[in-house]
Amino acid sequence: MTLLQWRDDFRVGIDEVDHEHQELIGLINDLHAALGTERAGERVEEFLGEIFARISAHFALEEKVMQARRYDESAGHKADHERLLDDLRDLMDAQAEGSQLDDEAFSARLGAWFGRHFQTQDARLHRFLVR
Amino acid sequence: MQAIKRGLRAVFQRIEAAFEGAFGARLNPLTQLGTLGWYLFWIVTVSGIYVYFFFDTGVTQAWESLDRLSRDQWWLGGIMRSLHRYASDAMVVVIVLHATREFAMDRMRGNRWFPWVTGIPLLWFLYACGITGYWLVWDQLAQYVAVATTEWLDTIGIFAEPIARNFVASNRLSGRFFTLMAYIHIAVPLLMLLFMWVHIQRHAHARVNPPRALGVGTLLGLVALSLLHPAMSQAPADLDRVPFSLGFDWFYLGVYPLLEHMDGGTLWQLLVGGSLFMTLLPWMPPLRKAPPAAVDLANCNGCARCFADCPFGAIDMVQRTDGLKYEQQALVYDNLCMSCGICVGACPTATPFRRTGNLSAGIELPDRSIAGLRDQVASAGAALAGTERVMIFACAHDAGSRDLAAADTVVISLPCVGMLPPSFMDFVLSRHHADGVLISGCAGQDCFERLGDQWTEQRIANQRDPHLRDRVSRDRVAVCWQNPTRPGGLRESLKQFRSHLREGDTAPRRAGSSAWRSLPRGLPLPLKWAGQGVAYAALVACIGFLATRPAYSNLPEGQALLKLSFTHAGEPLKPCRHFTHEELGKMKFRDRSATSCERGRWPVYVELDLDGKALYRGEHQPAGLWDDGPSSVYRRFEIPAGRHRLDIRLRDDGSSSGFDYHDSREVTIAPGENFVVDFRGTGGGFLFGRAGRPVDAAAKP
Repeated sequence: MTLLQWRDDFRVGIDEVDHEHQELIGLINDLHAALGTERAGERVEEFLGEIFARISAHFALEEKVMQARRYDESAGHKADHERLLDDLRDLMDAQAEGSQLDDEAFSARLGAWFGRHFQTQDARLHRFLVR
Repeated sequence: MQAIKRGLRAVFQRIEAAFEGAFGARLNPLTQLGTLGWYLFWIVTVSGIYVYFFFDTGVTQAWESLDRLSRDQWWLGGIMRSLHRYASDAMVVVIVLHATREFAMDRMRGNRWFPWVTGIPLLWFLYACGITGYWLVWDQLAQYVAVATTEWLDTIGIFAEPIARNFVASNRLSGRFFTLMAYIHIAVPLLMLLFMWVHIQRHAHARVNPPRALGVGTLLGLVALSLLHPAMSQAPADLDRVPFSLGFDWFYLGVYPLLEHMDGGTLWQLLVGGSLFMTLLPWMPPLRKAPPAAVDLANCNGCARCFADCPFGAIDMVQRTDGLKYEQQALVYDNLCMSCGICVGACPTATPFRRTGNLSAGIELPDRSIAGLRDQVASAGAALAGTERVMIFACAHDAGSRDLAAADTVVISLPCVGMLPPSFMDFVLSRHHADGVLISGCAGQDCFERLGDQWTEQRIANQRDPHLRDRVSRDRVAVCWQNPTRPGGLRESLKQFRSHLREGDTAPRRAGSSAWRSLPRGLPLPLKWAGQGVAYAALVACIGFLATRPAYSNLPEGQALLKLSFTHAGEPLKPCRHFTHEELGKMKFRDRSATSCERGRWPVYVELDLDGKALYRGEHQPAGLWDDGPSSVYRRFEIPAGRHRLDIRLRDDGSSSGFDYHDSREVTIAPGENFVVDFRGTGGGFLFGRAGRPVDAAAKP
């Protein structure tokens, strides 16, 4: 079962951003799949670190695009990025401290964030960029 | 060479530590020499433009217009004129110190050869500006500068006729000459500005403005000097007389007295040779070149953070080459890269939390991988013991943190602290590898890699991405920018940081605030201000003094100058041949010419005796590529004033004996007189003594 499914209306209209969104969704789905397997704890920590790095890099790229195009809502958009990264870091710390990641809770959090972020922040960025 | 460099460095660092006490790190003038150079350039420009409004170009008008400006308008024009002079002198001080300091700190290696090498012509331009400026005033110092400079230029041997002959007597000088000089005096600074711009091209975020307080202090100091000791002209120039004693600007004219002791050609060789030697310094051993940063495309999405942070413009964002759907990728110009690692510290993928596969950041130093750094952090952290364990990240130029290693302290070296990605600080603290992170770099505002300290501070204070996450307590992240001559200060900082860690988060610092640092243990404020006052006063006193004193005497009392100066064309090697009618008839029509002359001329041989003793014997070759130009003579002799007998003989037809012209004269030469022996071939013969009044002064009724 996949956690997130790429949809065409997720598109921001910038190829590299859309490309990376798809990659991230793939990475999150891999993590989601790994959660159900044996040795999950070790692998989940790896995945989380990787996702954290990828998302950091992705946000860096998206923020560069916003800055280059003088996006008027970039501060709010960036704040949303920071919220997700903080969430992720909380998860990473919890995982490192030994608490088992609650599959459902994790899925819900990431899924909710991406769904909301795509539909609000990224959709608005999309409207701004194609204007 | 290395010993000189080390010695100079120690001297600079000690002085800088003292200055830091009075000015604080941010305003330390010794870390602002380059920006002060720019700032002084603008002061000189603005004051120069103002003075130029009032400047008349003419043999007597030049001096008069400036003297009037200084006297009638002392409250503005006078100040502007003084600022123009003193800021120019300050520029020499600042720029020479700047070059010396960059040399001492070894900041001309690798990519940095470029600002170093482009700085050398700037020194020449600076001197050309100063010398032409003194020339324009047309006072006695200007006269000295004009004569000495042209005599010196003549030793290069590129001028057909010695240009010093323009200044041999007052009637030879024309007002147009001042127009030319003013033109040069404006053109050279423009050229200088162009080179100043080129000079900083390879530095990203180059600083060209000093901190405001430092700029204000410098300007106030120079204005005070201008009021207390206004720059004035010396007596008007009089080419018929040689001044015995001159107020001398040692900043600009310091090399001129050397001309008394060596010939001009040797001095040129010394200066040009010295410049060439300086030019080669960046490539002198010991050459150390770490491998440049390398981009790992698998981890690069073209976010451009490394590009934004590289202090040396060594990174460019270019079209993607690997077919991935990203627009850009980072590209490192190997020859520009200084291997400081600041780009690694900016890369969002350079995070130690990653474990998947081989940890590799989007940009890496081959000699210092992120994976290796993570492993070092983990193993160093495991070895730490105690309750306030501190992990120090130190650069190669810090105040000796290596000596601080202990059971509860570990030191991890980096090329520059700017290489440390903020997520490493998060990693160290959240994974309990240590209880505190201390970042120890170069002295304040003086990062060897230019921007490492600045970026580190901004990343920690959440002012620059990648930033340190808010979750990380700034009470556990400390910075220390200690002067290398003060290892005790770093030790003290560590001690205080540790006790701060022990006391716990009694007053937690706001998220996003800057890193913890020990309180500066500087002087109390009034003492600081007094210290700054003393520093400014010392600078302007030094400038005010050396701009005119000690006086320079280029002619001992009771002496006079005898100048032998003329231009005369020798006879043609063969007389011209006049063709007969028949000969012409045999020629092709287009070749027909009544006479045929060979181009060469005989050299002019001249003998001058003073009181019956030989003073000069010389043969002067004709000028021109075909040896068909006139021969020129320009010789200067220092003789005692008084009554003398002069005998002069001249031969211009290549014969081995006998003279074509001769004259002898009893003359009385006054002390300080500039006595000229000239020669006019056609209808004049030899001319003795003062030759008359200036041309354009005579033209006026």
